[in-house]
Amino acid sequence: MNKITREFIKVLRQNNSPTLLGRQLSYKSDISLDKIYPNARLQLYTPPPPPPSGSKKFNGFIPINKLEITYSRSSGPGGQHVNTVNTKVDLRFKVAEADWLSQETRDKLLKALHNKITKDGYYFIKSDLTRSQQMNLADALEKLRTLIRAQEVEAAAGPSEETLEKLRRRQEKAVRERLQLKRSRAQVKADRQGPSGVEL
Amino acid sequence: MAHLRETSDKALKLLRTLPRVQIGNLRPNPNSKQNDKRGRAQHGGDKHGAGNKGSGQRQNFMRLGYETGNQPFYLRFPYEPYYKGHHMRRQYPKISLLQLQVLIDTNRIDIGQPIDLSTLCNSGLLRLKPAEMEYGFQLTDEGLDNFKAKINIEVQHANESVVAAIERNGGVIRTAYYDPRSLHILANPQKWFEKGVPIPQRMLPPQDAVAYYADAKNRGYLANPEEISKERLVLAQKYGYELPKIEDDPNYQMLTEAKDPRQVFLGLEPGWLINLVDKTIIKCKN
Repeated sequence: MNKITREFIKVLRQNNSPTLLGRQLSYKSDISLDKIYPNARLQLYTPPPPPPSGSKKFNGFIPINKLEITYSRSSGPGGQHVNTVNTKVDLRFKVAEADWLSQETRDKLLKALHNKITKDGYYFIKSDLTRSQQMNLADALEKLRTLIRAQEVEAAAGPSEETLEKLRRRQEKAVRERLQLKRSRAQVKADRQGPSGVEL
Repeated sequence: MAHLRETSDKALKLLRTLPRVQIGNLRPNPNSKQNDKRGRAQHGGDKHGAGNKGSGQRQNFMRLGYETGNQPFYLRFPYEPYYKGHHMRRQYPKISLLQLQVLIDTNRIDIGQPIDLSTLCNSGLLRLKPAEMEYGFQLTDEGLDNFKAKINIEVQHANESVVAAIERNGGVIRTAYYDPRSLHILANPQKWFEKGVPIPQRMLPPQDAVAYYADAKNRGYLANPEEISKERLVLAQKYGYELPKIEDDPNYQMLTEAKDPRQVFLGLEPGWLINLVDKTIIKCKN
């Protein structure tokens, strides 16, 4: 096969369908993927990250290159493994400069975490949950996502007026009954005493 | 603690004056020997420990397990199928990522080509026994953190963290099903080709396995490739790594090479007859 034919084939291969001069280069059976999924993109590709949403909702995408991740050794028992392997994950980012979050969420986070943010403006999450660095990193990210989503949840409205009224009535009834019981007991005890000279 | 030391000192003092331990000096442990002689006279006699009347004195005891009429525990449950069909269940012997890394580092496996069941068996270090209900290999997460090879691998089962470990290094992993006949062929391809039988078709998975192999999350061979691409991003986000751009990889062609669902060998079609002696392939005309 000469150079020209090789280049020709390369160009044709790039066209996604593995055919050359009408003949198929790879085998296609009755249940090949292009028959099961006729409209799908069969070649593996890397989808682009979803764009940061203008609205306040966090779309779930965290750009990993914007986070600073360091590894260190974990604490606790574990012998040689815990002594030598860097399984603890420290994940930190500057909350004020997190442009992958909407401004509203950022402000809410700053307010909620203002006690925990360092002087340089970093908020950090540590994880040494498992024996594996990879799983600990997944855990740290999960914590981060939970934290962000917790800020986006609107606070519950609280009990309704009807509920409050019901509770007040219940309390009053309980107090009434308690006092009634007290009074009746007092009367019983008083009746145990004989009549005093005055009453006669 | 002080009194124990005193006791042990006392015992050692005694031991100095006592005679040597001999069979005649020994005594059995307390309550290890029961007196089998029948009790006689005042305290051992009269009822001889059997009480008054009843089944006890008449030595007519109830059978073991009898619960005085109600259905006894040992008869309450007619059927306990804990191991029903266990001998027929599919098994997937494990290969850890650590083992795989060692095989790659010691040049037992060529990572310039797609790795599949036959590659692993041909290394000579891993053996599959299809006759013992072994339906292929599963990749386990031991050695997860230190896995650093970019490979195109096809196994029969892999869990999420393993998939993440392979994809974060720029590799591709697929899970595929092989029916028992195909497994026999792949476990020892040389031996099978010597038989001179045309390559058969690979059959579809059984009902309970179809859902697994058609799911993009498991990187199944019957799953939608577009969904798989999306799931790669999802997993990268979950496990915290930047998904490497596989299209820009010089080995993109090799990494995305996948077998057809009916193919047993990559590059060989079902129906072809391989002649090892003359090094020819005999194909069907129609």
